[in-house]
This record gives sequence, structure tokens and C-alpha cells, in this order.
Amino acid sequence: MSYAFFPGCSLEGSARDYQRSTLAVARALGLEMPVIPDWICCGSTAAHSTDPLLAAALPAKNLLAASKMDSSPKVAVACAACFSRLKLANAQIAADKGLRSAVADSIGEDYDGAVPVMHLLEILARDIGVKAIAAKVKQSLNGLKVACYYGCLLSRPASVAFDDVENPTLMDQLIRAVGGEPLDWPHKTECCGASFSITDKQIVHRLSREILSMAKAAGAECIVTACPLCQMNLDLRQKDIEAQYGERYGLPVFYFTQLLGLALGLKSSDKELGLGCLIVDPRPLLARFERA
Amino acid sequence: MKSISKIENPTRAGKLPSDALRSEQSAPRSAQFALRSAQFALRSAMRESSLSSCLQCRKCTSGCPVSARVDVKPHELVRLVQLGQRDEALTSRLVWECTSCQTCFTRCPQKVNIAALNDSLRRIGLASGRQAMCKTAVPTFNDAFLRIVRRLGRMYEIGLMTAFKLRTLRLFEDVAKFPMMLLKGKLPLLGRSVRGRAGRRERKELFKRVADRQNHAGRGGTTP
Repeated sequence: MSYAFFPGCSLEGSARDYQRSTLAVARALGLEMPVIPDWICCGSTAAHSTDPLLAAALPAKNLLAASKMDSSPKVAVACAACFSRLKLANAQIAADKGLRSAVADSIGEDYDGAVPVMHLLEILARDIGVKAIAAKVKQSLNGLKVACYYGCLLSRPASVAFDDVENPTLMDQLIRAVGGEPLDWPHKTECCGASFSITDKQIVHRLSREILSMAKAAGAECIVTACPLCQMNLDLRQKDIEAQYGERYGLPVFYFTQLLGLALGLKSSDKELGLGCLIVDPRPLLARFERA
Repeated sequence: MKSISKIENPTRAGKLPSDALRSEQSAPRSAQFALRSAQFALRSAMRESSLSSCLQCRKCTSGCPVSARVDVKPHELVRLVQLGQRDEALTSRLVWECTSCQTCFTRCPQKVNIAALNDSLRRIGLASGRQAMCKTAVPTFNDAFLRIVRRLGRMYEIGLMTAFKLRTLRLFEDVAKFPMMLLKGKLPLLGRSVRGRAGRRERKELFKRVADRQNHAGRGGTTP
């Protein structure tokens, strides 16, 4: 199977570990993911808060480039925010002729909004299949108690969602397939505060605290995400949140690809998994189940 | 001004309560492009749903992650816009503290797209200078972000943080995080332009065309 890969800016910077582990998991599963040549930023929240045409034109430029690759008709995205922008742009361009012509005018070429955009979770859980992944497990997660955290942009709005909007389960299915124990907890799709991390930290502290404390209360040993912003807010800000609220979580925050990679036979010391990039040290937790 | 009055009465959107979103006659010329672009967006959003169908059931407010801290709750914002309370809507904290999480729209039984409404209010607020009354750093962040995208094609996180800090004078916030992130290999030191100078020219052109096109749309051009 082959997909045109749109990494997105975070995966080249603060979420390098997500990029590495994504590619490592893809290799282990025999997925080919050629990168879209000369891809550019999807525009993110900055674009859609500023200009709707720009918010459609930037994704369209990338999707057009993907449509010209000879390898694959489908685009794979790992970042939840890029996924949301690309897929929304597709829906808007396909539904609105005026927007389509405005986009064509802006990027110098017509794009019809038809290149399929898929999130990596969807590709692994559906295209490859939970059973096929379970069959490739070399190192079970041994009942590791995991709070699967989806956040906003993977699950909403309904027009881009590929899972239940209120209770998504694809990540839970994958974690269970590799031997982990996904917990039933209520904050799967709550918002972490996203890009307010830079503009108004207090929003992030308050929202991320609710997620961290709920995961802890549900008995989680770690949190698993599929979004660079969620991961950053919950991991990088965890110590500050603990200090502000006088609570202690000590929850490592993984990308789901990091845990899948471990289960598929990579070692926690492998650079490919990028576990060294995590701020809350996952080693005590991993030592426990790697020995088991 | 004639061009703007045409948008003030967006009959094609049908159910748009135009008063609250009416353009500011006194808006500076430089802001008028943004204003037109915002209203263009609002019309698109309005096609999907009608604000007037809001039942005031408060499902949006119950699920909103920031409703506890903002002055105007999501269901109240919809009502303000319905009633044409322009300034109250534009200067509400909700407009700039909304995290764009889409919970309101996803749960709304009437499919009122409050998240898109908020996007439009932000643009109108910017164009009419109302964001200045909201004590928000978000527009500065967005502007710094998009400048980097135009110049380099991709985000350059250190560049974004530096630009944001210099422009807001929040110089020391989170500085302790930098060394840690560098050490963890989370922050590449240098930004690199996608396709070098040719790419930069192309992106400048793209951004310019978007701006021109929006101007055109604002004059009631071919864009719906």
C-alpha cells in the first residue's frame, strides 16, 4: 500500500518524534509513504481565522501536488491539525464552485477537491486493519493502562470525522490490538487549548489540567495522542500545570505511533521512535513492561 | 462605499442578520479589504446554516471549553448577532478566546456553525479595529505565523516565537523552555525556504492573488 505523505510543519520541528515513529511504523507494516514534493504549510488556525480563501488555497496547493505524484491517489496525514485543514478544504472546494474558481485563480491551477485525505489512524486501523497489526506484534504492551486522547481536530466537525464524534475508538482498537489496555474515560475529545499555548497559557493550563487529572483519576499510566499540539500541551506544560494546581500526574504523553513501534519490535532506545524527545520521562514505565 | 453597501445587504445569504455584521463606514481603506474578505466568509458560513434557526438550547455553551471564563457565552453570541448588537459581539472575549474546537457546531441540533461565525467575527473585528478592545495577542500571533508561511513556505518555530515575543514584548515568558526543547531536538535552529527564491516569489504571488481576489469578491464579483 502506498500513500502520499503530508508531514506538516510540526513534524519537522517540535514533533520530530512523531514523524520518525510514523515512518518507523510504516516501514514495519510495509506501508510506502513518499513525501509530497515541496509541500507547504496548511495554514493552520492562523489562516482560517484570517482569510477563508487562504485557508482553502494553501491545502489545495498541496493536494494538487499530491495528485501529480505517480505513486498514490491518497494522502496520508499524521498531524491532526493538518488533517483537519486539508480535509475541510477538500469538502469546501468540492461543494462550492465559486470557492473552487477563486482557489484556482490563487494557485494558478484548477483543483477539484477530490484527492482523498486520510489520517494515519484511519489508515492503520481500517486499510491495514487491526487484526493484521495484532498479528505483527513482537512485544506486547502487557496490559499498559492507556488513556487514548483524540482531542478536537481528529473528531470534529462531523464533515471531517472518520470515527464517532463523541466517542471515537480507532486509537483504542489499535492499542488493544498491541496488548495495551485502553481505558474508558470521559475526556477523549476535550480540547487541550491548542495554539493558545503561546498566546494565552492560562487557557491551556486550565484545559490540559482537566485532561491530565481525568486521565490520572481513570487509572492511566500514560496518555496517547495523535496530534502534535495536544502532545506538546500535555507533555511540555505538565510540570507547570502540576505546580499551578498542586497536583501530581507524572504521565508520559506518547504519540500512538511510538507505542505501536515498540509493540512492532522496535527498542525504546531506538532513535527512530524518538522517545528521547518526550519531556515527561517514559523510561521507568517502559522498563517495567519491556522486562515483563 | 457603494461596494461595501452591497455586502451589507447580502441577500444571497438569505438569512443573514446583517446589522451586527455591517461594515464600519469609517473603517480605514486599508482595512476594507479584510472586511470584505470577512463578509465573504460569513456568507459562505451562512450557506451551511442559518443563525436565525438557533433555539437557544445552550448545548453549545455546555460543551464549550472556554465558556466558564468568557463574558459572552456561545448561545449568547448567536443571540447578539441575531439582534444586531454589533459592538457587544465583536468585543466579547469569546471571539478571541475561542479555541476553534468545533464542539459547538458538532453538537448543535440546528447545525448553526458557531465556530465559523467566530472566524468571521474575528475578521470583521480585525478590519474594524475592534480587536484592540479585546486585549488579545491572537491576531499578532496569526500575522507573525502567516508572514513566515509566506516567506519560507513552512513554519519555523524559533522564528515565530522570536517575532511574537518582540511584537508583544512578552520577552521572558517560557524562555526556560527553549534550552530544554533544543536539547530534546524539538527545535531546528534554522528555517529553510521551500524551493528557495523561486518558491518565495510563488508564495508571494499566491498571497497577493488571494488578497486581490478577495477585494474583487468584496465588490460583488464572480465569487459567491
